[in-house]
Amino acid sequence: MQSASSTGTQRSAKAQKFHRLLSLPTVDLAALRELLWSGAPEEDPKVRAQSWQMLLGYLPPVQDRQPSGLQKKREEYEELRRRHYLPVEAEAPSGDVDGAILRQIRLDIPRTSPGLPIFGHQRIQQLLERILFIWSLRHPASGYVQGINDLATPFVVVLLASELDCLPEEINVDAASDDTLDAVEAGAYWCLTKFLSDIQDHYTSGQPGIQQMVAKLREIVHRIDQKLYDHLEEQGLDFLQLSFRWMNCLLLREFPFPCVIRLWDTYIAEPLEGFSSFHVYVCAVFLIYWSPQLKQMDYQQLMLFMQKLPTGKWRNQEIETLLAEAFVLKSLFHSSPNHLNPR
Amino acid sequence: MAAVHEDDYDYLYKVVLVGDATVGKTHLLSRYIKGSLPKNPTATIGVEFATRTVPLAVGGTVKAQIWDTAGQERYRAITSAHYRRAVGALLVYDITREGTFKSCTKWMEELRQSAEPDIVIMLVGNKVDLVEKDPSLRQVYFDAAHEFAKLHGLIFEEASAVTSHNVKYIFEHLLQEIYDQTSKRREQQSIDNSNMVGGIQVAAIGPKNDSCDNSC
Ligand SMILES: Nc1nc2c(ncn2[C@@H]2O[C@H](COP(=O)(O)OP(=O)(O)O)[C@@H](O)[C@H]2O)c(=O)[nH]1
Ligand SMILES: [Mg+2]
Repeated sequence: MQSASSTGTQRSAKAQKFHRLLSLPTVDLAALRELLWSGAPEEDPKVRAQSWQMLLGYLPPVQDRQPSGLQKKREEYEELRRRHYLPVEAEAPSGDVDGAILRQIRLDIPRTSPGLPIFGHQRIQQLLERILFIWSLRHPASGYVQGINDLATPFVVVLLASELDCLPEEINVDAASDDTLDAVEAGAYWCLTKFLSDIQDHYTSGQPGIQQMVAKLREIVHRIDQKLYDHLEEQGLDFLQLSFRWMNCLLLREFPFPCVIRLWDTYIAEPLEGFSSFHVYVCAVFLIYWSPQLKQMDYQQLMLFMQKLPTGKWRNQEIETLLAEAFVLKSLFHSSPNHLNPR
Repeated sequence: MAAVHEDDYDYLYKVVLVGDATVGKTHLLSRYIKGSLPKNPTATIGVEFATRTVPLAVGGTVKAQIWDTAGQERYRAITSAHYRRAVGALLVYDITREGTFKSCTKWMEELRQSAEPDIVIMLVGNKVDLVEKDPSLRQVYFDAAHEFAKLHGLIFEEASAVTSHNVKYIFEHLLQEIYDQTSKRREQQSIDNSNMVGGIQVAAIGPKNDSCDNSC
């Protein structure tokens, strides 16, 4: 296979910065965060995968410890697989709770990212099934909730592209050995687990995390685009209706897949307290982006427009503008929470 | 109930699609609204919205606002808020999975609690195409569902989003039923004007084998 990282005669300036950082004996995580916040180099799939895995605590930042660290995590995952997945898989899923979870996951796997051919591949579907099932058993407070299947897909794609050293859109699943897929599976499992730990209360009973985010979104929009806020109120459009999916699937369903990956560079690079508070500002900017159109629409037009926003042609550039504006907005709110309050 | 909002329709009905995850709600809706199955089907998250305006045989139109909901238990807190002011519901189960039929009792109770008290419910046994191919796949008998429907005052039909069998019928028969019941109530309250004729039918309804030649 053609090596994606060596195809270019010269690395981009951005890729060079990453390489310089990642090749140090001990990687400076704060510096890596800062760099990844502005996006990983698209032409260099290994860099993105390494950065994600390191910031999500899967890949040790000390080079010498990387082989043993990864080995240990992979064995741990193997053990989870033996303990949780094998027994249930062996007896065809029955009426008990675990069986019901596995059945639901199996119903959703064929409905996961149907736009991406690799998720139609049986080996990938099985890998995804195990990741989701084991995650669900290990997180009984939420269990499997529809939409979490979506959230696993960026990790699978980014890690697989890195293992095969090709661009995400060039992944050929048949070219992957079993060992490669096992490595991807373990990595994707641990990354997903860490990533979701920030938003676990999105998926527990009553979905309090989502309710809070929606309330926060409403507050932000009220403060910075009162006209839009009033219009939505007038039309009887509820913020929960409008943004539930944005919160539940972290905008994954709203953008073309490459844009989602770019967005998640930044989410993964957000400081230690997690990306969830920043996400609300991204949603606010995203909503207000459409404000001129939205203000002309009645309830029904709003509903139809919002559930299928015209982002099909969006590229990283649009995402980066969104992120930059969200960053400014967040800083404003945090430095003086009442500064923008019209009351 | 039937509010006249704009010029292009006379009655506006809010209808919800409920039932366990993966019984085929989104496929039925897509088949009805677009005339085709979803191109890139994904599990419904929260609620999704669609509308269709249906002409009445006697003139005038009914606009249906249809809310497709996520079936998974966890989403109930979010989705049940959308039952409010619904005057009709399609309660869908999968005739090849008995569990989805058993859940109908629970769904019905929830609808009656959160929606309009006199909500009209259409019980739909979906995926009838599977059984036509292989009768041994059937887990819910027509008669059992029919009995259940009669007992609880629901309308009932089997359908298939894949073959379009009865798809148009289930939606439009429900709309007609809502129309009939609301006009009956209006007559009783004698608010309505006196030249209203009873037995108004929604246009172009045949009970079986609609080929779904929707041009929208
Ligand atoms: N054979 C058959 N499969 C169907 C039918 N309707 C839906 N399905 C399948 O059932 C699955 C779930 O459908 P979906 O509409 O997403 O279900 P929902 O969760 O109730 O919205 C999909 O894989 C569909 O292909 C049908 O009438 N016949
Ligand atoms: Mg659905």
